[in-house]
Amino acid sequence: MNITPGLKTQIKHLMVENLMLQTAADEIADDLPLFGPGGLGLDSVDALQLVVALDKNYGLKISDPEAAKGILENVNTIAAAVQKHQSQPT
Amino acid sequence: MNPRVILITGANGGLGQAIARSFLQESAENQIWLGVHARLEEAEKLAAGSPERCRTMALDVTQPDSWKATVAGILACHQRLDVLVNNAGCHKDALLATMALESWQKILALNLDGVFHGCQAVLPTMIGQRSGRIINIASLSALLAPAGQANYAAAKAGVVALTQSLAKEVARIGITVNAICPGYLDTGSPALDESERKKTLEKIPMRRFGRPVEVAAAVRFLACAEASYITGSTLKIDGGIF
Repeated sequence: MNITPGLKTQIKHLMVENLMLQTAADEIADDLPLFGPGGLGLDSVDALQLVVALDKNYGLKISDPEAAKGILENVNTIAAAVQKHQSQPT
Repeated sequence: MNPRVILITGANGGLGQAIARSFLQESAENQIWLGVHARLEEAEKLAAGSPERCRTMALDVTQPDSWKATVAGILACHQRLDVLVNNAGCHKDALLATMALESWQKILALNLDGVFHGCQAVLPTMIGQRSGRIINIASLSALLAPAGQANYAAAKAGVVALTQSLAKEVARIGITVNAICPGYLDTGSPALDESERKKTLEKIPMRRFGRPVEVAAAVRFLACAEASYITGSTLKIDGGIF
């Protein structure tokens, strides 16, 4: 899937603002794991905030923990889920 | 002071009424929602006195869907929700050996599950706002665990533990969660007979029952801006019993 230009950047800014990250948005690689060692180091509370922020900003509802695991893997996977959600007929 | 949107459950009872009045007095801009279920006449009277900023809302705290509808209704009006006071509760005392299962389940559902559902219903909004105050009304029974109140004491102790755990989860998002444990209050609910009243008073170092306004003042404080560093606390208001 081709991701709309700017969407990944938007998501990175959303993460920095909502999670009060000390990392700049442009320092977050698209495929950097968000959780776990060697990644951005987010935890379950960050995940909770991210889920709420994605719902608030893009209307993307993630209610299934298994789906959340896949969607919140990195910026690429979040952007793909947002774009898929936005392309669905309302 | 910024106007705030406040939801109080169990708002028909003496304590719920006192809490609502306290927030009404605090600021002319506060918007108060009174969650009511089986009984609503007192809450409706209070709302009728300030129709612009105090409304009743049917809310069965044991039902997640009821919470969903209540929060959606409030957000439709104000687009925010600042304070939740989980005050709804009741007790049905019996010795555990003879306690009906139904009584155990009902008391747990109303006093503990209700708080769980309430917190879960408001958290997405409060997380999105990055601010919020949750005040759970527990009971001194949570700490004293009197005989005959295994159901109620367990439920209220659960509320205290839930409060502490949730407070840790949301502390860095700007949401505080605190519990209050009132002791014996004069709430106008079924009065003790004279000898029971005398016996009870002997247990209270202050030798008087608490007034609902004294608990309401603590609720209002925990909801105010100056209380922003207090979270996960359990405040007992009991005239010195515990």
